[in-house]
Parts: sequence; structure tokens; C-alpha cells
Amino acid sequence: MDNLTAARATMAFSLGFHIIFAAIGMTMPFLMSAAHWLYLKKKDPVYLELTKMWMKGVAILFAVGAVSGTVLSFELGLLWPGFMRHAGAIIGMPFSWEGTAFFLEAIAIGLFLYGWKRMKPWVHWTTGLLVGVTGFVSGIFVVAANGWMNAPSGFDWVDGVASNIDPVKAMFNQAWFHQSLHMQLAALQAVGLAVAGIHAWLYLRGRAPDLNLKALRIAMVFGAAASIAQPFAGHFAGERVAALQPAKLAAIEGHFETSRRAPLTLGGLPDAETRTMKGGLAIPGLLSLLAHRDINAEVIGLDQFPREDWPPLVITHVAFQVMVGIGSLLALLGVLYVWFRRRGALPRWLLWTVVACAPLGMVALEAGWVVTEVGRQPWIIYGIMRTKDAVTPVPGIVYHFYLFLGLYLMLAAATVWLLRRQILAVQQKFGG
Amino acid sequence: MIDILVSFIAASLLLYVLLGGSDFGAGIIELLPAGRLREAQKEVINRAMGPVWEANHMWLILLVVILFMGFPTIFTTLMIALHIPMLALLVGIVVRGSAFVFRHYDAVQEPKTQRIYTWLFGLSSLWSAFWLGIIAASLNRGIIDPASRDVWAAWFAPWWGVYPLAVGAFVACIYAFLASIYLVGETEEPELKRRFVRLAAWCNGLVVLAGGVVFAASLGERDNLPAAFLRDPLKLAIVGLATLFFVVLWVFVAKRRTMLTRIVASGQVALILIGWYVLYAPNALITAQGPLSFYDEAAPPATLRQLVLALLIGSVFIFPSLFYLFRVFKRSDGPKE
Repeated sequence: MDNLTAARATMAFSLGFHIIFAAIGMTMPFLMSAAHWLYLKKKDPVYLELTKMWMKGVAILFAVGAVSGTVLSFELGLLWPGFMRHAGAIIGMPFSWEGTAFFLEAIAIGLFLYGWKRMKPWVHWTTGLLVGVTGFVSGIFVVAANGWMNAPSGFDWVDGVASNIDPVKAMFNQAWFHQSLHMQLAALQAVGLAVAGIHAWLYLRGRAPDLNLKALRIAMVFGAAASIAQPFAGHFAGERVAALQPAKLAAIEGHFETSRRAPLTLGGLPDAETRTMKGGLAIPGLLSLLAHRDINAEVIGLDQFPREDWPPLVITHVAFQVMVGIGSLLALLGVLYVWFRRRGALPRWLLWTVVACAPLGMVALEAGWVVTEVGRQPWIIYGIMRTKDAVTPVPGIVYHFYLFLGLYLMLAAATVWLLRRQILAVQQKFGG
Repeated sequence: MIDILVSFIAASLLLYVLLGGSDFGAGIIELLPAGRLREAQKEVINRAMGPVWEANHMWLILLVVILFMGFPTIFTTLMIALHIPMLALLVGIVVRGSAFVFRHYDAVQEPKTQRIYTWLFGLSSLWSAFWLGIIAASLNRGIIDPASRDVWAAWFAPWWGVYPLAVGAFVACIYAFLASIYLVGETEEPELKRRFVRLAAWCNGLVVLAGGVVFAASLGERDNLPAAFLRDPLKLAIVGLATLFFVVLWVFVAKRRTMLTRIVASGQVALILIGWYVLYAPNALITAQGPLSFYDEAAPPATLRQLVLALLIGSVFIFPSLFYLFRVFKRSDGPKE
């Protein structure tokens, strides 16, 4: 592995690992607060049990998220000093706000986890909610920073040096809103469905049915609502990408020749050599319609870009197909759930479907980030700086990669093992 | 603007060493033999650290963010030259945080796994303290060479040597010292209280000893510390004050004035950082080509304005919340879990 590949692999792996815990850290506190609120209102001890169970999950997962996030803040400099040297001053602002929000989150979580007997019940409840709110806000800031890499603004770039820096304009770049919206919904969706899936499975196995059904219902409020909203947010993001990063859109769709009435290809694999899509089902005019709201609109193809500026086509295309495929499936699941929930009973087949779909939200979330990040290549700052010009001069980054690969795999295994013990302990208590 | 930012950097560093450092120190203490007090000591450390360690860790994040937004050149120079020690520190931070939380929240509290968590928590705490010291020592040796691409000269020489090792050991001793002093006030159990006082005395001795080694090791360095401190009345006064604090500290320990001992011990550590600051300010680091000053390497004014604004507004939220956090958990008359 050469240094650039190793640095990219390290960053991809670190981000891919952290994003799971970040999504959980943004969403689980809301689930926990909902259960806690129901307990305080109804005084039903099952909700208290549920709150404490989710709280322990939050404690473990938040800690792993916090330490892996620390790693990332260092890795920006350890792996991409060429980027940070210029970008730090321009895009540091959302990071400084994210740091503030994260700080408050760390304080709130300390208060919530350990404050059961030390604060008035509703003050204590508020600290739990604040964990979610501050986590959610810090997520928005970080995604805004990523948005700037896709839609750089707030500076002039002359001869490889940034001038006229306007950090506010950089933070509120043209990509911050659609990316944040899409990501925050994805976090709610992926975590809501994963939690619902676990409890649905326990429920179906006859374990602590009352607790697990209540848990499932709370989690699905978030999971189903976000799943139904997500296709709209995703479509909005797609339109923005078409306007801001035509090369990324072309790579996503394997769209080689600039054309009117451009087709949308379902499945298939793009072949960069022959400049064609292999296989797949092409629906004429649909890409033009989706990207520009006009079936006859012109969609810019990869032919408008030099070959060396193309993103890796197969990865971008496949990741996008995975994301959209899962997103559509989950939207359907969300609608079905709402439909049956309103009619009063949840059929077992639907609950089994929830179980089967439990990991899919996370898969789609990871696939979406692959589209964003790989689809931006070869640029680290779109149109301004190439990834290869940003990489660290330190040799042997491949060892950095192996070190964190090993460390994170062990950490992931330990976390899963601990959560399993956690769940089993609660189920045993309820005699399931 | 730059003055405000440098103050924030200094304050964050101080608070990280005092608060975050004592959390690492607690891990180091758990490595030492404790006999039958082991379990009780673990409980006290869990209770004392649990609610606050994540907030204490945030001072490091704040430090990193101020550096990369306000002083990107300094940040990237550090991250390139000190890639290896930074990586080592990160591994320690990841293992420490995870092991501590896993230990507390493992649903099945069995002796075997608990021992593994404690062992990992302790070793990673010692490891992190040590590497932070090495990083601190490497900043001003004049060996960091951004122009060099020679593997040894560029990526090993800046942090290699007796002096960084000595500073690493010094930081570990300071952390353990702070932890023992703070822990005295965290328990009502007389036997445990005595143990923490005894540990504090030992660690205090070790701090002095390690400090002596740091001074001796610095004789072979760019800055000869004994000469630097003895020549200048201000620096001499700092050393004098730190010595005086020793006496005061142990008077308070003897009189069982918990809060005052904490303040004096923190003051001692603050004096060490002030000494460092007086020696090197306003230079963030000294490379082979010369010093990199905060004043020369700052980001453009528009960025600094936004950073200061964020820090000031952030402070309005963070400081009262922190105050509340510590009041809820560190008030001695509060109910026990």
C-alpha cells in the first residue's frame, strides 16, 4: 500500500467506525429521554427499567464515540497536514462550535448517568435530553465542515494560497444544509431501526414481552418517521449534488456522455475503459427529471471532465445503489409500520421484517458516506486541492492503518460482547 | 485577539493537566499494590471519576481545535514531526476511556474480567501520561525539522532521548500525585484516606525526584534548565514559591483541610506550567530553523475573531455547566449513590 492509499484507508476506517457511535450518540439519548419521560408521567416501572437499560448502552457507546472522535480530530493533522494547513483557518469555525456542543454533551452525560439521586427528577430528565440535543447539534456542525469540502466557499484561492477568508461563509456553505439534513435523518433512522430490530427479536422470542414491545414502539417512532422523511431529504441532496458537483453525480449514475433526456440506470456496473454501463435497467429521461426536474434537461456527463478527475466509478455507483435501495425499502417499512400501528395490532411478519431490517439503516448510512467521500475524489477540497497533495509526508502510514485496524476491531468486538451481556442481564431479570 | 487565544490555550492545558491528568493518575494508582483495599479503592475511583472524566477530557479537544483553527501551521508542524508519539498517545486515550467505562458498565461483574479492565485502564493511563510528557518535552528542543525528510531526523530524533523520557516520567508522577491528593477527599473510609495520604506523600517525593532528573537531563539539551531558572529572578521566584507550597500543602494535609490541599497541590502543578510558559512564551515550539511564535503563525484576523467569539460564547455555557457538574458530584455533604 502506498502512503496515500494507506492514509485514505486509515481515514475511511476511522470515520466509518466513528460514524456508527456518533449516530448512536446523537439518537439513543432521545430514545432514552422518551422512555424516561413516559416513566415520569405514567410511573410505570417498566419504563424506568427501559430507561436504565438504554442509559447503560448510551454510556458504553458514547465513551467509544468520544475516544474515536478524539482520534479523528488528531488524524486530520496526522494524515492530512496539507489540507489542515489551509483549511484549518477557513473551516475551523464549525469545529470550534462542535467542540463547544461536545463539551456540553460530555457534561450533560456525566450529570445524567450519575445524577439519579442527586437532582430533582425533571432536572435530571432535562440533562438526559440535553445529551441528545448537544450531540445532535455537534453532528450538524461536523457535517457542515464536510459540506465545505464538497462546496468550498468563503475564501479566494490564488496560487495555492487562501486569502480573503470568511469563516462564516465557509461554515454556511452551499452543501451544509442538505448534507446535515440527510445525515441527521440517517442517524435517527439507522439507530431507531437497529434498536427496534433488537427489541422486536427479543419480543418475538418471548423475552420480557411488555418491556420489549414498549421499547420497540418508542424506537420505531424515530425509525419509521425518519425512514419516511429520508427519501425526500435524499432527493433534495441529489438535486444539490447535480448543481454543485456534476462529476460526482455522473460517477454515481455511470453517466458518461453529456446528454438530454438522460437515463437512470438501476443496478449495472460502470466500465471506465469502454465508457459504458454494463448491465442494469436504464429508464430513459429519469435522471434528467430527478436531477433537474425536467425530462429533457441536459445532464453533464463524465466526458466533460479529464480522465484523472473522475472519482472511482464502481465504488461510487454501487454504494449509491445500496443506499437508495435500502432507503426505499426502509421507507416502505416505515409506511407499513405506521399503517398497522394506527390499526392497533402489529402482525408478527411485520415484526420479523423489522428484525431483518435492523442492520440495514447502518449499512445505508455507511454507503452514503462512501458516496460522499469517494465521489469527491480525486479532490479533498472539491476543485481546489487534490487528496494526494494533502497527504502527510510521514512514511509508513500503513502501520498507522494496521494499528488502528487492530485496535478498532478489538474495540468493536468488546462493545458488541458487552452490549450482549447487558441485554441478556435485563432479559434474565424479567424472567424471559 | 492572539493574547486571548494564548490565554485560552494556557487555561485549557492547565485544566487538562489538573482535571484530566488526575483521572489518568487514578489509573496509575490502580496499578500499585493495594492489598485488601483494592476493591474499595476501585469503587472510590469509579465514583469520583465516572461523572466527570469525559468533561475533563474535553480540554484536550478544545486545545486541538484552538490550535488547528487559530494556528494551523503550528498544528500541522506538530502533527507531522510528532506523528509517532501522537499516535501512541491516541492509543492510550482510546484504551483508557473504553476500559474505564467497560469496567463500570459491564452487566456481569466478575473478578476475572474486572481485573483485565483494571489492568488495561491502569497501563493505558500510565502510557498516555508518559507520551504526553514526551510530546511536551519535544516542543522546544530545537530538533523538530520541517525541512527534513530523513526518517530518523524528521520522525524519531525530535522525541528521542533521555530528556523526553524524563519529562514523560515526571508527568506520570504529577498525575499520580494529583490523583492521590484529590482522592483523599473522595472517601470517608479512614483506612482508605490514610492510603491516599501515604500515596500522595510518596508521589510528592517522586515528583521532586523526577523533576530533579528532568533538570539533570536538560543539561544536554538546547535549554539548560538549571541555568535558565537560576539566572532569572522571576523564574527563581517560581521555583521558590513551588517549594514553599510543599510545606503549606503538608500542613493542610495534616490538618485535614481537603479543599485547601487540593488548591495548593493544583497550584504547585500550575507553577510548573507557569515556569514552562515563562521560559518559552510566546513561542509554541522551537524547530531546527528557529522558534514558531503564536504571534507569527496565527490565522488571518477574520478567523481569529470567529474563534474568540466561539470560545467566549462557549464559555458562557460551558463554565456554569461545569460548575454545576462539580457542585452536584463533588459536594462532600451530597447523598452517596
